[in-house]
Amino acid sequence: MNSSSVNAQSGGDAKVAPGEELLSVANVTLRFGGVTAIQDISFDILKGEVRAIIGPNGAGKTSMLNVINGFYHPQEGTIRFRGETRTKMKPYEAAASGIARTFQNVALFTGMSTLDNIMSGRSLKMHQNFLTQMFYYGPARDEEIAHRRRVEEIIDFLEIPHIRRQPVGKLPYGLQKRVELGRALALEPDLLLLDEPMAGMNLEEKEDMSRFIIDVNQQFGTTIALIEHDMGVVMDLADRVVVLDYGKKIADGEPGEVQADQGVIDAYLGVPH
Amino acid sequence: MFYREAGQFKTSYKADQAIFPILQDRVGLGLIIVLALLVPLFGSDFLINSFMIPFLIFALASIGLNILTGYCGQLSLGTGAFMGVGAYSCYKLATIFPEVNILVHILLSGFFAAGIGCIFGLPSLRIKGLYLAITTLAAQFFLEWCFIRIPWLYNYNDSGAIEVPTRTLLGTPITGPSSTPSVRYYVILALIIFLAWIASNLIRGRIGRSWMMIRDMDIAAELMGIKPLNAKLSAFAVSSYFCGVAGALMVFMWLGAAEVESFSINVSFQVLFMVIIGGMGSLIGCFLGAAFIFGLPIFVRALPDQIGVAINASTVDHISRMVIGALIIFFLIVEPHGFARLWQIVKEKLRNWPFPYG
Repeated sequence: MNSSSVNAQSGGDAKVAPGEELLSVANVTLRFGGVTAIQDISFDILKGEVRAIIGPNGAGKTSMLNVINGFYHPQEGTIRFRGETRTKMKPYEAAASGIARTFQNVALFTGMSTLDNIMSGRSLKMHQNFLTQMFYYGPARDEEIAHRRRVEEIIDFLEIPHIRRQPVGKLPYGLQKRVELGRALALEPDLLLLDEPMAGMNLEEKEDMSRFIIDVNQQFGTTIALIEHDMGVVMDLADRVVVLDYGKKIADGEPGEVQADQGVIDAYLGVPH
Repeated sequence: MFYREAGQFKTSYKADQAIFPILQDRVGLGLIIVLALLVPLFGSDFLINSFMIPFLIFALASIGLNILTGYCGQLSLGTGAFMGVGAYSCYKLATIFPEVNILVHILLSGFFAAGIGCIFGLPSLRIKGLYLAITTLAAQFFLEWCFIRIPWLYNYNDSGAIEVPTRTLLGTPITGPSSTPSVRYYVILALIIFLAWIASNLIRGRIGRSWMMIRDMDIAAELMGIKPLNAKLSAFAVSSYFCGVAGALMVFMWLGAAEVESFSINVSFQVLFMVIIGGMGSLIGCFLGAAFIFGLPIFVRALPDQIGVAINASTVDHISRMVIGALIIFFLIVEPHGFARLWQIVKEKLRNWPFPYG
């Protein structure tokens, strides 16, 4: 897997050079009835960086990801991805434009094997029609095998060949998280959204996952937006950090700056009244 | 010990992606097909007509329902009606174009069922689970009503029934009263093998995966770029196609004549039981389930005669109903995932035998 082929295959036409803006969120407000989940938030994600989104529970981090990949449609504000401002976008359109994600609570296809789960990430790149698939005839078989080869590369990369044939429902939690990452990687996304990839893991599993995230970012050049509660991980992995609290942005900057920010410290530790 | 993939190394993904990657499976399937071909040589016409033919036809209908319910997760109670659509459209085609071969009509009639299935599948975009089952129930009742109230469908026949005309293939009658059970059996067997092969191809490819993605986690499926509309409607279409062909076969190659009762809600339930007993999301399960639900009553009814106990026919019928009901409950408690899962467990055990662990 080299980064050039990744870029060449991903959905859109506009190329974004490393270091330029890939996604920008401007003045986004999201309400559920009377509850404002996200209030006037703006930030950007640059091509090739690891961007962390942190904040206490209920700060609106997951809502933010849901806005980015089209599950929620914000009442106000705009989202620009690869230079295109999008209006109401469906999740499958977000996927087609090059955004993949993993979930806080693993959302794998539990009845399918690891192999099929990761193959499912290739769906958008498979184009054989019904007729050829029906007979599993030449082109359909070749396509299936070509994608199988790519999927095997991902399986090797994530070091999970031993669970290739197992139904994912029976795998331990740490491996399920890894398979989910593999499924997202199979889309060869421009932007990978990771929602608490290390929640509930032990130290060793966290180290493995961190290693995979760094490798994905550096080897394939995938831009990553990361929600995580483990501050050690965030400070080590992230290039820049956005801090949310009660739906508002309270800080934005490099890990060191954010760590020293009085507002952030107050949000996490509380303020004496 | 005997059932092992050990030593069977795959050197290409092509070999690994085969439907039956293990040699023993291929040999076993070959044996089953040979046995199936030999049945008319040794079996009586009774065996063929009252077990083998309906078993194959219902296995096909189960494949149809299993695609929808087992693979795509959309519960349907309209199977009987979709089979009816296949049967009535085949009848209309056969009477309007008598010169075209009946097999073509049978295969075409599935497309009418697919179209109707798509229309009644539209609610699935909004409704899930049991509520969807109720909307498919509407399909069942509405279509049954059509089969009675639209006399055009049965060519204004006084009896309200469709009667199968005699049609030939290469000079041999394959439908109608003059066709022999063995000939019909071979035709059905060939069609079922062909259609089951197509079903397995669809299931292992992109389309089949998109169905299973919708079944397992529809939100994540959308994120992988699956459009729920396409996945669900294609499942409804393919499922109804199989059911429609099964319905056409049922009337043209088994019953010989049919009216609306042949496609009642009972048929829907019967097929659903076959899928549940056989195993959701398994093609082998469809055949096992159909054999069980269809074969067990025949077996239970024949048993008193075989062991020389004289009981009158209606008592036998009652007892067989009770026994079958109890057996269904027993099997569902022992193995809620059906025969397919049992078969899988047996394969695991065989693989390690004579050791308890692999």
